[in-house]
Amino acid sequence: MNTLRIAISGLHRGENPQPGAGIIRSLRRACKNLRVIGLVYDAMDSGIYVEDGPDAVFSMPYPTSGSRAYLERLDQVRDREPFDIFIPTLDAELELLVHLESGLAARGISVCIPDAKTLARRSKDRLPELAKKCGVPVPETLAAFDVNSAVAAARGLSYPLMVKGQYYDAKTAHDEAELMAAAGKLLSQWGAPIILQQRITGPEFNAMGIGDGAGNILGLCCLRKTVISDQGKGLGGMTVKDARLEKLCLNIIEELQWRGPFELELMKDEEKGDYCLIEMNPRFPAWVDFPSQFGCNFAAALLELITLDGVTSLPPCAAGWFYLRHQIEVLGQVDNLAALSGEGVWRKPERARPPVTAFSL
Amino acid sequence: MNATLQDLLLNDRGFAFEPSSGQTCQLSSTGLRIVRLLQDGADEPVVVDRLLKEYQVDEHTVRRDVQTFLGSLKDMGWL
Repeated sequence: MNTLRIAISGLHRGENPQPGAGIIRSLRRACKNLRVIGLVYDAMDSGIYVEDGPDAVFSMPYPTSGSRAYLERLDQVRDREPFDIFIPTLDAELELLVHLESGLAARGISVCIPDAKTLARRSKDRLPELAKKCGVPVPETLAAFDVNSAVAAARGLSYPLMVKGQYYDAKTAHDEAELMAAAGKLLSQWGAPIILQQRITGPEFNAMGIGDGAGNILGLCCLRKTVISDQGKGLGGMTVKDARLEKLCLNIIEELQWRGPFELELMKDEEKGDYCLIEMNPRFPAWVDFPSQFGCNFAAALLELITLDGVTSLPPCAAGWFYLRHQIEVLGQVDNLAALSGEGVWRKPERARPPVTAFSL
Repeated sequence: MNATLQDLLLNDRGFAFEPSSGQTCQLSSTGLRIVRLLQDGADEPVVVDRLLKEYQVDEHTVRRDVQTFLGSLKDMGWL
């Protein structure tokens, strides 16, 4: 059987984990003949060094460097490690890649992502517009392009409210002073606009799935976040089965004719009992590998969709499976950092581990 | 009866799981008995009546405890 050669990004698994390492684990569960090329923006991305991680790793220019620099680097990578499938996992990459479809296709690189117009329709500042079309409640949401306009916009909402970066990060502001601090930080980190959203009180739910581009969902895994970090990250989750939640997800994917992986983030309003859409991410979540452990392998289904241009639907995810995020220390050597920082490439050696030192007492 | 309560999954030791919300709860043996009675279609007076027959407790205590327990189920959105 031919070896599948796949490039995957987003390999960090630290405090703010990315999906790439989980996707690699899921794919390795499903495919024996797999060569994974990791595309990274930082030599300290922990997923580079895990045992079942990528076979080779290349540093990439940030997507903000522009399409030319990005495509040139992909060409350089492919000269040394050919691949014909790319699974991007970071929001900022998607913003660039949706404009490069013809460039990627000309190179024979397959991706499964929405088009630029569809991607823009789920952006945080346009969420109310989308939600209205789908009949899905959303918290009141306003965009602001600087700190002063954020303060002015907040007068139309009530505290506490959520302040969100355009790609990542969210902070709670209880008053104007906190809003100004949060807005300044998020604008400097992620650029404009920032999003102000009325805070909803209640449990948080996430739904992961794959859209086929024709309005259908090929698989859906819904969970309730059961352990949440100070930063709002889900450190634990329990799968749930709720027809109302599934219908709501289907409405959104149908409306968008979404193609590719997605994650919907929702709150269940404690008072009204309604689900409220707070975000839609154009990629798998960091917990993507969790359902593959009970037979719902979303990454493998995505691969099937890309390679076969069609996939039989994933089995339904039963309620009652839970995950807990578990941190471990992965091993690296300074040579690894030197290779990635200097030459921009590192290949996993056959024997990555140093010899075990025996102690006698 | 509330659809949520009907969907509640229980084991013999009183561990309860509600599949649409992902909530879990450990019930006492009496709580488990009450939930099973409710799932079988009993209403509050029937639950009180059955508990009076099954436990050696006075009626006032049973009524009070059943009301408190049903209130907890309502708070959890299970009733």
